[in-house]
Amino acid sequence: MQPLKRFQVSLFVATLLLSPLVCRADITVALTKGFVKKYKDQATIPTTFRVDKHHNTPNPIGSGSEDGDVHIAGRDSVVKLPMVAEIINGKRENDTFKFLMQTTAGQAVPIVGVWRLWFEHPGSDDQIQGQTVPVPTNTNPDHIFEFHPVAQFGNFNCLDSFLPIADQSNEFRGYSADKAFGAYEQRPGTITETNTAIMITSNKAGYNYAEFEMRLTGNPKDVGDGYIVLANVYNAGAPANADPLTEEPRRMIFVKGSLPADKVATMKKGDKLHVLGIPRVNLNEVYAVASGLQGHEEYSEGGLPYEMIIVALLK
Amino acid sequence: MGLFNSTVLDVIIGLVFVYLLLSILCTAANEWVAAITKRRGKMLEKGIHQLLEKQPTKPNASPDAFWTAFYEHPLLTSIKHDKNHPTYISPRTFAAIVTDLLTAAKPGVVKYEDLETGAKDLPEGNVKKSVLALVQRSNEQLETAQNAIEGWFNDAMDRVTGWYKRRTQIWTLVIALALTLFANADTIHIGRQLWTDPVLRAAVVEEAKVRAQKPRPTVSVEYKDEDDPTNPTVTRNEGNQLSDRERDLLGQMLGWHGSFRENLGWSTLLGWLLTVLALSMGAPFWFDLLNKFMNVRFAGKSPDEASKKPEKQDAKGPRA
Repeated sequence: MQPLKRFQVSLFVATLLLSPLVCRADITVALTKGFVKKYKDQATIPTTFRVDKHHNTPNPIGSGSEDGDVHIAGRDSVVKLPMVAEIINGKRENDTFKFLMQTTAGQAVPIVGVWRLWFEHPGSDDQIQGQTVPVPTNTNPDHIFEFHPVAQFGNFNCLDSFLPIADQSNEFRGYSADKAFGAYEQRPGTITETNTAIMITSNKAGYNYAEFEMRLTGNPKDVGDGYIVLANVYNAGAPANADPLTEEPRRMIFVKGSLPADKVATMKKGDKLHVLGIPRVNLNEVYAVASGLQGHEEYSEGGLPYEMIIVALLK
Repeated sequence: MGLFNSTVLDVIIGLVFVYLLLSILCTAANEWVAAITKRRGKMLEKGIHQLLEKQPTKPNASPDAFWTAFYEHPLLTSIKHDKNHPTYISPRTFAAIVTDLLTAAKPGVVKYEDLETGAKDLPEGNVKKSVLALVQRSNEQLETAQNAIEGWFNDAMDRVTGWYKRRTQIWTLVIALALTLFANADTIHIGRQLWTDPVLRAAVVEEAKVRAQKPRPTVSVEYKDEDDPTNPTVTRNEGNQLSDRERDLLGQMLGWHGSFRENLGWSTLLGWLLTVLALSMGAPFWFDLLNKFMNVRFAGKSPDEASKKPEKQDAKGPRA
């Protein structure tokens, strides 16, 4: 065989053999650019939600997964991804819970929920927006998208659930800021784009709730259904000269009509707040990254861009 | 000898390494052309012109009078550098200027009614139609109306980003072609050299290892205006310069030997085509691929790759 011919054949064989080794094994969620653009700076999404499976009692209140939430698995008309809706402080939301218990399987209910993309229960299959969503068979199917917390369920306003998660005997506290944000800051994430879609790839995440002190680095911005503000993150009660736990200020999301939002609306740069929050993918940053990518480029330097949904003010 | 420590793998690494270096040169040239032609500022100006054109400020004024007034506003002139068009205007600045121009006749604190009246008082034109359509859905709230104007600007900027990316892709191909021909970067010839010259191959693999330890060329996102957490600034960090050693190695593998006609042949044409296509993939793609092949070559993650993680952490805590 000629040297060149041998080289070409070897190159072909090597490429075939090596291709599986350079493939990644993480989970990808594919979103339409239109969806990302529309909701990247919104706190919530209003939609019609089909209730397929739900808890019959709220989660107990304690630590870890005992977060007092009510899980509802279903399908919706806007997001079109596998999903759950979670009402926080389930025990406080008696009327909402009674209504939920009266719903029949597959019943469509108008809801407004804080959108949340997070790889907490991603499963093992990629999730593509717009693909037919299978009917959930339990209250916690594999999902990357959730409405968490729910702000309105049917005609029931749930904004009064944005309080510390507590009953007479227990209070649920999130993970400490250094532990939770240490993990959030190191979440792997890869962003790629096509003409019509943005793909976010990551793997299973932990540390759902975090308790922290946020110090505003800018003034809150009214985004219609909420407020967004940039803030540095500290452990609760950290001294004034402590170093922030995040390399850069992170976006904090407040839902209008909730107590945390009422509070932040009166605040300005330099003020601080002790809060309970949950992380979600920062679609604003994802969109910005995607718009800066060229050709077949993929982005993974900054990890998974995230922001915090503020669900309660803590003392 | 197994495949993962074989000549074939080293040749592949060598080719990927050459593509990466040429892609970095290509990107640097593209950025240089963009700076010389003021591409970013011109695209932004074109986008703003589309929004504000065909809008006189008085009945007999020029159709571009509103657009001209926009550019004469002190909020904008203050961010111009050497009379060049700025490369970035925040949506907040845009909305503030448009609101100010529309309410110029109303001194003091601006109210929603002032904005609506200002828009209604304009002669017929694009801005009047657009702003009225936006503010009339704002529940008579000035802040909501200004957010809507910011949204109008953001939509236009998305189009500008699209234009810019398409133009950049075209320039990337043009520059890749020019670079390939100038340097006679024939993939098949380079592959053959690496296949037949073990000394060159070893040197290239060693240098590829050094390159794989350097930061990846990519984009970064930053919220520069801390009062506006919805408008991040995107910057490309193509970053790295080629080292002297890398230039030397490229010099050994590329270049013209003999006349153009002597070099020309189907194999060369195919080699050039492969190189141009490879360069159009961009430096980050080849950087990632190089790292993957290096990991395979050195049986798992290279020590340097592992040592990169702590590099991203600082005293404040880890940052992925």
